[in-house]
Amino acid sequence: MASPAEQLPPGWAAEWDATHQRYLFIETTTGHTQWEPPAAGSAETENAPPAGVTPAGGHGKRRQYAAGQTQAYYGGEAAPDPAYGQASAGLGVQQQGGQLFTPGLAAEGQFANQQQIAQQGGGTQGGYYGQGEPEYLNQQPQQYGQPPVDALANQFGQMGVGGQKQFSLYTTNLLTLPPDPRDLAQPPPEIRLPPNACISPSPTANADPSYFRSTLNAIPTTSSLLSKSKMPLALVITPYRSLNEGEEPVPLVTDTVIARCRRCRSYINPYVQFIDGGSRWRCCLCSMTNEVPQLFDWDQVRNQPGDRWQRLEMNHSCVEYVAPTEYMVRPPQPAVYIFLIDVSHAAVQSGMVATATRTILENLERIPDEGERTKISIICYDTSLYFFSMPPGSTDSSMLVVSDIDDVFLPKPTDLLVNLAEARGALEVLLGRIGEMFQENTIIGSALGPALQAGFKLMTPIGGKIIVLSSSLPSHGAGALKNREDNKLLGTAKESGLLQAASPFYKTFAIECSRTQVSVDMFLFSSAYQDVATLACLPHYTSGQTYYYPAFNAARSEDALKFAHEFGEVIAQPIMLEAVIRVRASRGLRMASFHGNFFVRSTDLLAMPAVPQDQSYAIEVQIEEAITIPFVVFQTAVLHTTCYGERRIRVITAALPTTSNLSELYSSADQIAITTFFANKAVERSLTHKLEDSRDFILQKLVDIISAYKASMTSSGAGASAQLAISENMKMLPVLILGLLKNVGIRQSAQIPPDIRAYSQALLTTLPSQLLIPYIYPTFYSLHNMPPEAGTIGEHGVILPPPLPLTSERLERHGLFLIEDGQTIFLWVGRDAVPQLIQDVFELPSYDALRGGKATLNLLENQFSQRINAIVQKIREMRRGVYYPHLYIVKEDGEPPLRLWALSMLIQDRADVLPSYQQFLSSLKDKVNGASGGY
Amino acid sequence: MGGAGWLFLFAVLMAAGLLFCMVFFIIMFSDLECDYINPIDLCNKLNQFVLPENIAHAFITILFLISGQWGSFLLNLPLLAWNANKIRNKAHMYDATEIFRTLGGHKKETFFKLGFYLISFFFYLYKMIVALIAESE
Ligand SMILES: [Zn+2]
Repeated sequence: MASPAEQLPPGWAAEWDATHQRYLFIETTTGHTQWEPPAAGSAETENAPPAGVTPAGGHGKRRQYAAGQTQAYYGGEAAPDPAYGQASAGLGVQQQGGQLFTPGLAAEGQFANQQQIAQQGGGTQGGYYGQGEPEYLNQQPQQYGQPPVDALANQFGQMGVGGQKQFSLYTTNLLTLPPDPRDLAQPPPEIRLPPNACISPSPTANADPSYFRSTLNAIPTTSSLLSKSKMPLALVITPYRSLNEGEEPVPLVTDTVIARCRRCRSYINPYVQFIDGGSRWRCCLCSMTNEVPQLFDWDQVRNQPGDRWQRLEMNHSCVEYVAPTEYMVRPPQPAVYIFLIDVSHAAVQSGMVATATRTILENLERIPDEGERTKISIICYDTSLYFFSMPPGSTDSSMLVVSDIDDVFLPKPTDLLVNLAEARGALEVLLGRIGEMFQENTIIGSALGPALQAGFKLMTPIGGKIIVLSSSLPSHGAGALKNREDNKLLGTAKESGLLQAASPFYKTFAIECSRTQVSVDMFLFSSAYQDVATLACLPHYTSGQTYYYPAFNAARSEDALKFAHEFGEVIAQPIMLEAVIRVRASRGLRMASFHGNFFVRSTDLLAMPAVPQDQSYAIEVQIEEAITIPFVVFQTAVLHTTCYGERRIRVITAALPTTSNLSELYSSADQIAITTFFANKAVERSLTHKLEDSRDFILQKLVDIISAYKASMTSSGAGASAQLAISENMKMLPVLILGLLKNVGIRQSAQIPPDIRAYSQALLTTLPSQLLIPYIYPTFYSLHNMPPEAGTIGEHGVILPPPLPLTSERLERHGLFLIEDGQTIFLWVGRDAVPQLIQDVFELPSYDALRGGKATLNLLENQFSQRINAIVQKIREMRRGVYYPHLYIVKEDGEPPLRLWALSMLIQDRADVLPSYQQFLSSLKDKVNGASGGY
Repeated sequence: MGGAGWLFLFAVLMAAGLLFCMVFFIIMFSDLECDYINPIDLCNKLNQFVLPENIAHAFITILFLISGQWGSFLLNLPLLAWNANKIRNKAHMYDATEIFRTLGGHKKETFFKLGFYLISFFFYLYKMIVALIAESE
């Protein structure tokens, strides 16, 4: 089928018409169509095709558009601006035609090409020797030239028209389309608001995905539509994310003129309407008419009339207000940090105490203390409690021992909790001495519960942050735990019991903490069972975070470095204190359930004594009544005290269009947000039910989505189909779900220690999408044949090699690969790696001299080593959050546990009982075809 | 009035008491939904009543058993088993951290118990009257 498209004059397109077996010619600017090939320059229209004709696409791809839709696409400015809510035009026909549009064809070619080149990479091995310049440096990157997505974007970009665009649905066949990791870096589907929805032209008027994501970027108008689509409706919010270098801080409204709706208490935002000559505004959430505050148009700084259109809250989706006194229950409290340091034998021997005290000492300067109000205290504990009294102005400190742990009391009313600035000298001396003080400590056991109670006593009534460093299972006093690890339970239905709290103490204490504005962070180091599941309850309900360093040993410099880096970042974080978060939404929408680290204080209020940076929360949304408005607004308000003692409100407003159209709903789905939400849901389910139930639940959700999609969006409808269809924007969802099902927190296995599982679950429920997605679907790079620019500094910092699909087919025996999930980095060395490569990267003579395990990569005097170091460095820095991944060297024929661990990240492979991606897809297909009778 | 009469009179009073207890629970739950009470206070309050309620119910069930009122005993047996199972699994107390997630279930359970005690109330009343009539004959 030779396409005449190439011979067309500019401005014309050709579409194959299946009914008439001839080409239909379309003038793209006007939407005119004709049967005759246009002469150059001709713009005359004759012979408009009869309505209902469905021209099929050229280029060998099957694509069908209704004539009306063709006009909408090709019509350009001449076509009437499609009114909001009419977007269904295209879909009906697509349903009728029902043919799959398969960019997979293009992608397949691409894929084959990639593989070919990879093999060529293999061929270079022979040529490696005897060349001055290592050839692996010269591998050309052209195979990564134009990813299929770009091609698509270009293709459809030509059809783009001005004004409000409609969502258009492109179906792909999963069976012919291998997942391309680069798709994960795509932004979520565009939010297409009706024209004039926003009163600000500012590009920041709608929330950035790093703050706010919705699983659907077009909200269904009725709950029946939502349930028909089987899609989850949930929000993923990260209200307090860290700022990248060079990023503007959140704009701050300082004049305390805070316009709020009288009825729903939402804050004024770029989506309200001014009415009555601008003297009133209509709330975009509840339609209430409100007075504009008198000082709204007054510039208080210059004391002159101001311009309301310039006000920050009218132009930014994310703003902060300085809160006046009515937003305070009490005056802003200083930030308080209490360190509870385990000094039992195990803790001292592992070097944890020395590393921790040194890190605190080094980071004293970075603890947020602008107003010199920050207070600090250090309590050490084994089976007794050791307090340190630091009188102001002195560099001396004295230790007070309390061995009565049944009824904890403070040995001294003052000087235990000291002002950081005033007691700086004493603190420095003390921190330098703690290590030796307990050097010879032979006491085994941990009175963590009493230590927590003591810290709690010390910081009430102020509140603040307790940072726990613990190396063993709590064994004395309140909150003592038993070793309940039982390998026989692993992999059985009873395993989820090990992931639930063993003692009510930690939950009760967490509630007390939440009440008194105390947040707890846990740093856990044990080499034996520590009951992470129970201990993680405290951070969970007090908005802290759990950090776990299994078998920590500071003698290994990598361990010490990782912990010191992460601990230092946690200490230095500018936390929000005494925070409450409320998410409001337009009428008809209700926040149904909340996932993340906080305490739910009322139906829609999340209490957070201290908000750490870069924690993510997932909220399931329910459609309670039919929505009649063209767009809805979600507003997240975080009332908090900064660690510098200022009461503020951070408001994040996000507007999303509504739709009554199933195809729009599917084409607006955000696969990243869906996966983030499902990760939370899976963990919740593994605790309330069983691990197996949680996997079945997630899998069933995916089957439901694909079944519903097939039934309503493809021609096969309820019948069996040889294809596995899903919309283009969700094509990574199955592989992400597979990754989730294979994640340590959820995976079917009888070998995962409960501590590791519990920690992984804590990560799954707190990581923001940016960190969570690689944690579920790791990144895989080939280093020995990376393109020459990879590892060098580009426009956006260090250039990373193109990511590969996660399958061991890509591993080559002579290659060097890197696999990372944001928490761990593996450097995989093939067994036939040439000595030159080993020499360049590891400074060792040959593969045999190389040892697997945790390692530090030295920067050597050669370009390849420098590039690899730059890549590792970039991987450690590019994402938000405090995590500093360990680097492991994995030899292809090295120790099996490490090798299997690294290979378990290649989630598209079959591993033990877990299916490969292909097997997963074919079982999905069977389920979908089997299940469709019910739909 | 003989043994059976007294027994059912006592049962009627107990059922009435339990009935009120359930009404109180339901009022508290709706207060929670309307933000009149925070989950911590709610759980502290309700948890005081959970064990007494279960014990009262167990007590009356056992009374039926030892007095040979098989019908009434069997009527109460399933709920007794349900309560006992919850206590065995340490799931009988309300958990403030999870209350909003589990609220629907709690409400369902409380409504069910309310209905059950209501039926029990009239059933015991009927049995009491029957017992009294039988005595007077
Ligand atoms: Zn309102």
